[in-house]
Amino acid sequence: MRVHKVFTIAKRDYISTVRTKAFVFGLVVAPVLFGGGSIAMSFLKGKPDLKDRHIAIIDHTGVAAEPVVSAVREKNEQELLDKKTHQQIEPRYVFEVIAPAGDPASSKDQLLALSGRVRNKQLAAFIEIGKDALRPPKPTFDSDDFDLGTSNKTDPNTGVSYYTNAGGIDEMRNWLYGPISDGVRLARLARLGIDIQRNPGLTASVRIDGLSLVERDEKTGEVHEARKRSELEGFFVPFAVAMILAMIVMVGSAPMLQSVTQDKSQRIVETLLGAATPFELMSGKVLGSVGVAVTSSLLYVIAGTVAVNALGVAGLLPLTIIPWFYVYLLTDVIMLCAFAAALGACCSTPQDAQNLAIVLLMPCLIPMFTLVTVLRQPNGMLSTIMSLVPPFTPILMLLRQAMPNGVPAWQPWVGLVDVMAFAVGTVWAASRIFRVAILMQGKPPKLAEMVRWAIKG
Amino acid sequence: MTAVDDLSLAVPQGSIYGFIGPNGSGKTTTMRLIVNIFYPDRGEIRLFGDGRPETSTDLIGYLPEERGLYQKMTVEALLEFYGELRSGHNVTTEVASWLERLGLASRASDKVETLSKGMTQKVQFIATVIPEPKLLILDEPFSGLDPVSAEAIRAAILDLRRRGVTVILSTHDMYLAESLCDYILMIFRGRKVLDGTLSSIQEQYGDDTIRVTADGSFAAVQQLLGVEQIRDLGQVQELRLTRGADPQEVLRALVAQARVTSFSLMKPSLHDIFMRIAGPAAEEANHASA
Repeated sequence: MRVHKVFTIAKRDYISTVRTKAFVFGLVVAPVLFGGGSIAMSFLKGKPDLKDRHIAIIDHTGVAAEPVVSAVREKNEQELLDKKTHQQIEPRYVFEVIAPAGDPASSKDQLLALSGRVRNKQLAAFIEIGKDALRPPKPTFDSDDFDLGTSNKTDPNTGVSYYTNAGGIDEMRNWLYGPISDGVRLARLARLGIDIQRNPGLTASVRIDGLSLVERDEKTGEVHEARKRSELEGFFVPFAVAMILAMIVMVGSAPMLQSVTQDKSQRIVETLLGAATPFELMSGKVLGSVGVAVTSSLLYVIAGTVAVNALGVAGLLPLTIIPWFYVYLLTDVIMLCAFAAALGACCSTPQDAQNLAIVLLMPCLIPMFTLVTVLRQPNGMLSTIMSLVPPFTPILMLLRQAMPNGVPAWQPWVGLVDVMAFAVGTVWAASRIFRVAILMQGKPPKLAEMVRWAIKG
Repeated sequence: MTAVDDLSLAVPQGSIYGFIGPNGSGKTTTMRLIVNIFYPDRGEIRLFGDGRPETSTDLIGYLPEERGLYQKMTVEALLEFYGELRSGHNVTTEVASWLERLGLASRASDKVETLSKGMTQKVQFIATVIPEPKLLILDEPFSGLDPVSAEAIRAAILDLRRRGVTVILSTHDMYLAESLCDYILMIFRGRKVLDGTLSSIQEQYGDDTIRVTADGSFAAVQQLLGVEQIRDLGQVQELRLTRGADPQEVLRALVAQARVTSFSLMKPSLHDIFMRIAGPAAEEANHASA
């Protein structure tokens, strides 16, 4: 292989790609789309709807409404104003206690009338405390945290029913869960004759603080105290690292398919083959794409560093991840670009290439679909196996490595050997397909033909 | 499918070697084999003595029949890219010189997509000859060119030949092949059917062609004995004699029928030879014998 030819082709492809509007647009738009949602959410979170929330309450116990309203009011007063600026940051909850209807028919009419008031926006919601809500149910430990009733789901009389037409994630329901539970508990205690005034905090929830492990400094021997862990560390940082890798790989490798198809359909490729072998041509194109990916990655890494410093969360990302990030990035881009070159060589028109684009992106898309599963159980069997499947290794192994509990030491190395061997195999097979297909015109070959070319050349 | 079969040829250094043959006969495949784009199933190709195609591509300039250029690049950048790809060094001076020579210096910084078809073809030719190759392979270099551009390319090819460059070109223009090529190779159905200088090829057919001008000539030549085929060229009729026919007898018979103003005995043209091998009559004869 003549290296100067590879570099000349790579240089041309690199310059022509980074100068396109599509590249600049993709470089800016991808992170905006990715990060924009979070930014918009945090912005909107800072601008809550401060209109009063009117809530009607029907208390079938006759004694629970007052402690519930009292608990809500107490929480509301604590959280209503910003501690520093004294500006209102939460809506005010206004309760309207309604006497229950006497018979089942009237009860239905009452619920219908209240539902009408919710529809007319006179009420935000209404709740109904079941007549047996004060009878302590047998505790269970299911994971439905936001069940406003009790664990006895078969009998609505033992719980609290919450009626609303709010869509999406109902923040109000989440907010009310604590004080309503507290109010009902207080009513239960009062019924048992326990004076809550003399035992304040009896119903207070227990706080669980997430902490890192205690470590000993190998140099000084000093034992460092565990530090507080945030959701950012456990979820956001690994998620962001994996998503950035996936984005860069896609931005770096997707243009290859179009580039090869374009060279072929515009009859440029035969002139190039007069001066370079198919393998040199493909290698040059792959190297150009690697350059594009590295350029994108440097921009993202610099922007990411600035962002985490600005957010004050620098240090959450283990620095040892960065070499792995680049090793996985390079192998993934080489693997996908070689694959794209082979697919592009099999296409005769840009339409053919568009049809195959989704196939090319599968090694990135499949890991992205499994991100949440892996985040939940990073060392589960599915996560371990998926992250050792070579096309998925770069994104999933990096995701697992970026998590606080990490992965067993052998896994990244086995994954790396796997993915490198697979990348070499992909380049070898792709170059054989590329050589046969690049001057063919007409209908794209079938998968069986491509496999035959890869094996037999 | 066999594209080229049992083909053997030797191209003398410093010559212009023309490939002729009908479409699909194997000319382009042969060129791609020489340039190492295709690999032969059997046999071998040796270049510049004992060189293998895979180690000699830097010495070859190849202009394919189906040619395209990067439309978004400037003329200058594009030519420098192709030159650098072949040579591995900077070719700025040569690019400027060739652009000047083919009248494109003023368009050097324009994008390729803004050029006319003729200009684009000149740029493609320049991309093939920078840096100067030892062997130039041109697949139908004159197709689609206007006479002025064709003349410029023709002059450039002859100049390169004078400087020792060996040229292999394919063409469907028999007049061009006769006038430009030192050697002619005809490929038909993947096999070599003619190979040699024009005169040596014509020698194989002998002086069996008469060109005649006479009053009412087309009617006059219709019934002549010893004439196998008549080709009407308009003002002139071209007659092919049957094997062993005496041209003097033909002349006497003609004079007896009409007033003859010119009569010349000659070897068959390349066009005529081509038609004898690959024309409809030959096809019919082949079918009949099959």
